Amino acid sequence: MTDLDISRAWLVDPAAGREGPGDIVVRDGILESVTWLDGADADGVDDRGVVVAPGFIDLHAHFREPGNEDAETIASGLAAAAHGGFTTVCLMPNTTPALDDPAVLAGIRAAADASGSPVRALAYGTVTAGRGGETLAALGELADAGVVGFSDDGAGVGSAALVRSALAYAGALGLPLVDHAEDASQTAGAEANDGFVATVLGLCGWPAAAEEVAVARDLAILAEVVRDVPAARLHLTHVSTAGSLDLIRRAKAAGLPVTCDITPHHLALTDEWVAGSRRWAWDATGDPWSDGAITTAAYASSLRVNPPLRSAGDAAACREALLDGTADAVATDHAPHTAVDKDVEFGLAANGISGIETALGVLLAVVDAGLIPLSRAIEALTTGPAAVLGTRFVDRPVGLVEGEPADLVVFDRSDSWTVSADALVSKGKNSPVIGRQLSGRVLATIANGRLAHEAALEFS
Amino acid sequence: MTVSDRAPVAIEVPIVDSPPEEQAVGWSHRHLLDLDVVSWPEIELVMRTTDAMREVLARPIAKVPALRGRSVTILFYEASTRTRVSFEVAAKNLSADVVNIAAASSSVSKGESLVDTVRTVEALGADLLVIRHAVSGAPYLAAETFRGSVVNGGDGWHAHPTQALLDLYTMRSRLPGGSVEGRKIVILGDVLHSRVARSNIWSLTAAGADLWLCGPATLLRGFEAWAGRGAAAGRRFHVTSSVDEALRDADVVMALRIQRERMASGLLPSLREYAARYGLTSARLALARPGALVMHPGPMNEGVEIAPDVAAGTQSLITEQVTNGVAVRMALLYLLAGAVGPGRRAAE
Repeated sequence: MTDLDISRAWLVDPAAGREGPGDIVVRDGILESVTWLDGADADGVDDRGVVVAPGFIDLHAHFREPGNEDAETIASGLAAAAHGGFTTVCLMPNTTPALDDPAVLAGIRAAADASGSPVRALAYGTVTAGRGGETLAALGELADAGVVGFSDDGAGVGSAALVRSALAYAGALGLPLVDHAEDASQTAGAEANDGFVATVLGLCGWPAAAEEVAVARDLAILAEVVRDVPAARLHLTHVSTAGSLDLIRRAKAAGLPVTCDITPHHLALTDEWVAGSRRWAWDATGDPWSDGAITTAAYASSLRVNPPLRSAGDAAACREALLDGTADAVATDHAPHTAVDKDVEFGLAANGISGIETALGVLLAVVDAGLIPLSRAIEALTTGPAAVLGTRFVDRPVGLVEGEPADLVVFDRSDSWTVSADALVSKGKNSPVIGRQLSGRVLATIANGRLAHEAALEFS
Repeated sequence: MTVSDRAPVAIEVPIVDSPPEEQAVGWSHRHLLDLDVVSWPEIELVMRTTDAMREVLARPIAKVPALRGRSVTILFYEASTRTRVSFEVAAKNLSADVVNIAAASSSVSKGESLVDTVRTVEALGADLLVIRHAVSGAPYLAAETFRGSVVNGGDGWHAHPTQALLDLYTMRSRLPGGSVEGRKIVILGDVLHSRVARSNIWSLTAAGADLWLCGPATLLRGFEAWAGRGAAAGRRFHVTSSVDEALRDADVVMALRIQRERMASGLLPSLREYAARYGLTSARLALARPGALVMHPGPMNEGVEIAPDVAAGTQSLITEQVTNGVAVRMALLYLLAGAVGPGRRAAE
């Protein structure tokens, strides 16, 4: 079992609402002691060095097994998750076959067990049979088998009538509907955010309104369904536009049971990147042609993602939503793809970013820019997603609790790493930040008392 | 780009009878993918080099040995007659070897990726690769892989830089004063799906033209925002769905092709309504200045976006565009070959 001693680090315990200098000791996988330091003992320790936080929880990842094991397997995905500091992942059901049957979930669990990884693999079931968008999947059987919610991610739920049924039926099962908000009638052939960059590059636009129409639809239906089914819950994943976040903010203020997550790339990248700019969202002007920001070739297919990278204003709205609590979590939407599916023309490339290993680094770029406090970033990766999942699936406190099996990540904000195909553990090398230096190298990830990933530290 | 950038500059025009590597000319681009990165002096250089190529074309034997030993591969993933043949004739006039690949007859139809096809073409000895593709940005992917020069022969809705340059050349050759500066130039039709319109925006705003884009509102989506950005960056143009406003006192009217699938996707009611409201008829052309120039990048739907009598009328430059296209493409192949230099393969 794992032993670990870390002294004079910056401890972040979002469950206790506490952060500061401290020491931790892990013995035989148990977090034996957490010692908060003050006075002279704490001198020279700040939040810019080694940080210890609870293990991260990813509400949204694609591990491609079963069906596309060339892109990712459960084993390679769990290893990548550990490299990124995640100790729990929630897998989307758009596999082949789709996770619309308990047998598929059993296969995923067997693969996770066989991998030997201590990272916990949870999974969503589909909303509709075969993700076909026509009839409800076997929601009750899937709930009994242990899915954490229902999603047809990759596409929106096929019709408003199905959203209504799914919210009610899943709500009665105590599980959320997790919707990928996209009005498909507005996104046929869409390649990039509908805006100046897409217009200049001749790419078919994916309008913000296509997301906002679906968000508004879901919220209007939710408001009615909760009258009959008070336990109904809606979670909107990878929300990307200012308008969507405004709708969600108002719905939350009105007391509707809605939660949402945002990806690191929608916080920090913009559609300027598709034109060949590589500046962070907070430095973007929206017109990289006129201010010399284009530093690399346009149309890099690693940037093709759904929902697409948005404007600088949308990215700012995403950060604002994370700050004010409108967004509950940061989720990676880790979407690995093979070179065969990705190293092709932009408009023919598969949608998705391999992001579970770079999520922390990209989020720390937001923190480094002074736009989000470190503590809020950690919350969005730990207690935030834990609250979305609920105590049914997260039955231990998400914090630095003595006497519990250690479930934590240790990373060093003063140490950076260069993202490269070789440095990524995931089979998916489709990352737009390849070649870039990210801070916050993960030194160790301990999941459920066992070492899941280690970098430079020596362990007994 | 500001107006002052268009001040006269000393342009060193190459002697096009000789190989380009023996010339010191102000062309630095290895690829021609779009005009967004091409400066005004470089456009002027293309225009002046095109003059030299026109002189070659006027000779009894319209051929120079400038690109002897160079291989030009023309890789077209979309059907095309005029552009493909234009590049082929241009390359042959420069004594280059020419290989034509139509995607339908190659291993592309067996599922070979663009990257693999480009590697194969390169292994077969291509120095310059002219590519046309239905997906916007495809030539950028080819350029990432190919060690020689890539020329964009038209990609999706995005760009058709050689067309825009031949359009500019044709306008300058016919407008009094030989300049488009301050001239009202109207691009009329399906702007949204037009690579010709997009490339012309870069070149005509750089040239200081009074550029107007006109079409049904559904086919102008996003261009008002581009016009706003353009104005802020000194590349002003206008966008309107009023054909009368656009055509009034125009110096040049360029009609764009309308494709039938626009009706299926709900962007237009019918071709009949389009022809009635936006078709370039002689009655509409009368709104423009007397003798205004009529252009079309082809292929035309006569009776839809342009009336047959206008297309064939005395103001039409449509066949002249085709002739100039050969000279412009000769100039570009020449300049690009000079940027890469000879013996590229031997050096590897």
